[in-house]
Amino acid sequence: MSRVSVEQKVLSENDRIAAELRESFQRHGVLAVNLISSPGSGKTTLLEKTLAGAPASRRMAVLTGDIQTDNDAQRLARFGFPVRQITTGGACHLDARMVQKALDGWDLDALDLLFVENVGNLVCPASYDLGEAAKIVLLSVAEGDEKPLKYPATFFKARLLVLTKTDLLPHVPFDMARAKENARAVHPEIEILEVSCTTGAGMEQWSRWIELNTAS
Amino acid sequence: MHELSIATEVLEAVRREAAKRPGARVQKVGLRVGELSGVSEDSLRFSFEVLVQGTDLDPLALEIERSTGDELDVAWLEVEDA
Repeated sequence: MSRVSVEQKVLSENDRIAAELRESFQRHGVLAVNLISSPGSGKTTLLEKTLAGAPASRRMAVLTGDIQTDNDAQRLARFGFPVRQITTGGACHLDARMVQKALDGWDLDALDLLFVENVGNLVCPASYDLGEAAKIVLLSVAEGDEKPLKYPATFFKARLLVLTKTDLLPHVPFDMARAKENARAVHPEIEILEVSCTTGAGMEQWSRWIELNTAS
Repeated sequence: MHELSIATEVLEAVRREAAKRPGARVQKVGLRVGELSGVSEDSLRFSFEVLVQGTDLDPLALEIERSTGDELDVAWLEVEDA
């Protein structure tokens, strides 16, 4: 019996495709962001507000992942920006191959910004690099401030945390300071925004974050 | 839930390595799974067992070494040479 060293990433094939995507996004000057959260944290709503508030000249598009339906794509298509649905047929996350396939035939030169809305799931999507420039994790105040500690992988890998539904704060036992502390315990450099899509509070900071990162 | 996909990738890596060693039998595969990898060890073990059962790789043992980062690696194989 002999022990043979292998030393390769389990997801090396996904990582290979993600590297191709990343190179392609950079070459075409597209900022790709990967939105991750539990189901119901407000990914689609945040995108709706973002698209609704953007001038028609904004060169952006959305890929939206769903296990079963195209509800989200229908919701997002109303705003006139290109939207494509990825239906995973049971898979609980998007992988790089699905993104590559969904982008087939799309002219990346016509885009500056691509939102990839992952399947609602705070665990599995963290393992799959999609070639994005940044992962963005959403956490709604209705979910609880301990979530960063319970699902550290996603918070560790996200550049930005968007705390959503802040208009509900008076009604839920969510400690904003503790939530941020927990997120920073997992990922000290994580950037944090607070947003309410209902009142519009924080939407300006969100738009500015996107603008700033698109330009860089 | 994605541990089934992860286990599938692990077995593909094992088969690729085995193909380089005709006649040899892979007895055990060693994985490195980080605390921040987002992978549940229990689900991964379960998926692995289900996928190996009744195949040419059966019985293939799995050893998981935990680490502190986001590692998710096939680290080594134990091989019975032909």
